[in-house]
Amino acid sequence: MSGLSPDVEAAVAAIESGPQGPEVGAFFDLDGTLVAGYTAATFYGDRLRGREVSPAEFLRTVVTAVDGELGGDPTAIAHVAFAAMRGVSEESFADLGERLFRSKIAGTVRRESRALVAAHQRAGHTVAIASAATRYQIGPVARDLGVEHLVCTQLVVEDGQFTGATDGPMLWGRHKATGVRTFARGHGIDLAQSYAYGNGYEDVAFLSSVGHPTALNPHRDLRAAAARLGWPVLDLSDPVGGSLVAAGRTVAALAGMNAGVAAGIAYGLARGDRREGRNLAVKLATHIPMAVAGVSMDVLHQERLWTHRPAIFVANHQSSLDIPVLGRLLERDFTIVAKKEARWDPRAVVGSVVIDPAYIDRSDSASARATLDGVVERIRGGTSLMIFPEGTRSATPVLGPFRKGAFHLAAQAGVPVVPVVLRNTGELMRRSSLVLNPGVVDVCVLEPETDWSADDMGERIAALHAKFEETLARWPSP
Amino acid sequence: MSPSNRGAEDFERWGGAAAWSTGSELTPMQTLLWRSERHPVQSSTSTVVIDLDRAPDWERFVAATDWGTRLVRRLRQRVVDPVVPTAPPTWADDPTFDLAYHLRRERVADHDEMLSQAAQIALRPFDRSRPLWEGVLFEVGEEAAYVLKIHHALADPLGTVQLLSMLQSGKRGHTARKPLAEDVAAVGVDPVELAVSGLRADVAALPEVAATTLRNLGLAATRPQSAVASALRYGASVRRLVTHAAPPSPDLTPRTGRMWTFLTFDAPLEPLRAVARQGGGTLDDAAVALVLGGLGRYHARRDSPLLEIPVGVRVSLDRADDLGNRFAGALISGPLAIEDPVDRVAAVRGEILSLHTERALTVLDAAAPLMNRLPSFVGASALRSAAVPDAFVLTLPGPPRKRFMAGAEVRGMYVLGPLPGAALTACLVTVADTACLGVNVDASAVADLAGLEQCLAEEIAAFTTG
Repeated sequence: MSGLSPDVEAAVAAIESGPQGPEVGAFFDLDGTLVAGYTAATFYGDRLRGREVSPAEFLRTVVTAVDGELGGDPTAIAHVAFAAMRGVSEESFADLGERLFRSKIAGTVRRESRALVAAHQRAGHTVAIASAATRYQIGPVARDLGVEHLVCTQLVVEDGQFTGATDGPMLWGRHKATGVRTFARGHGIDLAQSYAYGNGYEDVAFLSSVGHPTALNPHRDLRAAAARLGWPVLDLSDPVGGSLVAAGRTVAALAGMNAGVAAGIAYGLARGDRREGRNLAVKLATHIPMAVAGVSMDVLHQERLWTHRPAIFVANHQSSLDIPVLGRLLERDFTIVAKKEARWDPRAVVGSVVIDPAYIDRSDSASARATLDGVVERIRGGTSLMIFPEGTRSATPVLGPFRKGAFHLAAQAGVPVVPVVLRNTGELMRRSSLVLNPGVVDVCVLEPETDWSADDMGERIAALHAKFEETLARWPSP
Repeated sequence: MSPSNRGAEDFERWGGAAAWSTGSELTPMQTLLWRSERHPVQSSTSTVVIDLDRAPDWERFVAATDWGTRLVRRLRQRVVDPVVPTAPPTWADDPTFDLAYHLRRERVADHDEMLSQAAQIALRPFDRSRPLWEGVLFEVGEEAAYVLKIHHALADPLGTVQLLSMLQSGKRGHTARKPLAEDVAAVGVDPVELAVSGLRADVAALPEVAATTLRNLGLAATRPQSAVASALRYGASVRRLVTHAAPPSPDLTPRTGRMWTFLTFDAPLEPLRAVARQGGGTLDDAAVALVLGGLGRYHARRDSPLLEIPVGVRVSLDRADDLGNRFAGALISGPLAIEDPVDRVAAVRGEILSLHTERALTVLDAAAPLMNRLPSFVGASALRSAAVPDAFVLTLPGPPRKRFMAGAEVRGMYVLGPLPGAALTACLVTVADTACLGVNVDASAVADLAGLEQCLAEEIAAFTTG
């Protein structure tokens, strides 16, 4: 399965079969279109929590918001917010944008809108985010999606501080449409062949500027207008938020994991076989919690997990869920490499008892090398190794660069590398979330790669990275 | 096309004309306009000026018109109002119908004199107890112009152009044995009887109306949240429709609505359509953009830079861009400062399409039945208090091919609409491969009338030589 709804697949197919090249534009609205919800609300929530909002400003904001809903000027609320930013340093606000992106907004980017953006990028279209938001909200999202162009509201900055005014109109409604048409003229874009995606009732003028408008998860008034205008409507699935039920199941899952570990260890002690005990513990500690949390797996090429053991398993990393998922996949006779600091992380203690990870002291390269030598020995002894070559979890499904460590180990130990692509663990358990949502994890095991050596390692890693990206962009059918 | 084909086409069209508008009651909206009419300030009268290549033979012209009034029964009917507004006004045959009262001929020196005469005719109120049309054939040298004044209750501008296109002939020669309407018994209506029967119907319907009202109230009571939310959304939409357009231009005041001046322009249709296509819009969008361009020039000329002005447009309530039968009027903020015609068309299109998100577009239609039960000044002031644009712009499809009236070729057909509060009303009619733009200007609001005429002509040149 591709993980996309049939409607989105059809839209992607239409993009692929349509005209290609940079003179075709693809314009995406941000709030409610690329991301679920409103990024401005996230920013405001952060200010509220930081008690930076005076009661008078709060009242004014609420009154303006309600008035906007009741047919008043819907952009007035933004101007209240901009005015409140007077004197704030641009740099600190940009940092806040980055922080909020990593902690909150990254998790709200819709997977299927990501697929639409990627389809336009593959077609060589000029992709832009067109939004009434500011670049501090849009910038991190655009970078994550690989979108170069922003058509957005500009804030006036003097001496590194906001003045509270906008440079030109707020790009809302007709002004967003004007902004897009101006951008198109400046970049040689043929609007009649171009695409636009928006969700708000104010997006009609923006959408009507192009030949291929799509109402994406439209607001009810835009949905009615789209029906009358004969515009296609796409409903994308939203990233799942943590429900109370899901939270409860997560707690139960954690308890199950610990119980599974304990049972496995006890079994090993009783049988006097630590290794079997460890394997059983892994099995119980991964099966029980995933069953309790309602997470199942859909694995392509499962046989490749077993044909080349011992091996180094490399996987992309988006979520805490990745570790139990891989544990359940590899099932037995494997360990991980962890940084030394993680040894005493309370969340990792249980796991570390079970799989006896190899800890690396990154600050001391001599000891790190010694540890790795020990790891090579263990691999040759029959224990497979599981490594996330990105080094750290990504905030989004976008693949980070691969580090070389895993591949050096494969060369030294003379074992193959088995690439495992995990597609949607980040959706079931967001990066910063402690809540695991029920769902199906899509896993694809790629062709194992043997005979690693230092000579062509750089190119082979790059090729493998490309294979990961390709698999994530176009999920293979079974 | 061969002459015999054209003849067959004529017969088919004339058959359609016979079936044109045969309902006996005025619709709620027509009723509202009928009862709240205060001519000419709040007028429902449109005037059509048809330029003819030669003066038709008068006898033949009178005979053709007589035939037309027999084919289209409505032209021989008058509106009968009940003594109290318990029922909608009803169409009834006028037993005293006399063609000579409605049709006459005059001779003028030139085209300009004809247009100013036409404006004077338009300003004079109708005799509301007679069929609601008046035609004057002006002989202008060797050429001629037929001026037809018609009341909205009889036909709106769209209907007027349709009707005229239907009645005209596809050939110059005379058609003998033209089709006639089926003979029906004369319909006579008495105002008192009408009021009484309306009252009787109201009383008979009372239990049902009460039951429906109670049921709706009950439904609202069981789902108060959704009822309130939906009412608030509707109210918000009304408020946006009324208040969100740009404020009126200070350079198009003061408006009295009592000094009508008619201007006419021609433009080749194809270049206009090309600009519309490039801007992703329709001919209607292009017409609005064209009038805005002319007004932009006028404001620049008077050193009065404005970014936008309120413009009244027509929105189809069926599928957008469909010339269906359900329309609503609404205001948009028309861009005045965009110089490029293509970009202006795109901006206008965005504004017009955005209206489709407003659930209250039909608010006047929804309110009309209720207002019709109230004294007529209520409806009149409701119409007056609705937001008023600086300009109304309307596009009407005319005959797609060359047409003739009693042997004279139709060179152009211009609709001059009323001025309900606006400084100007512009109607673009497509006649074969020509766009005929008729503009009714409130001369008291436009200080430099010749300047405005020149600005509009310059804008047409900008659109068509692009």
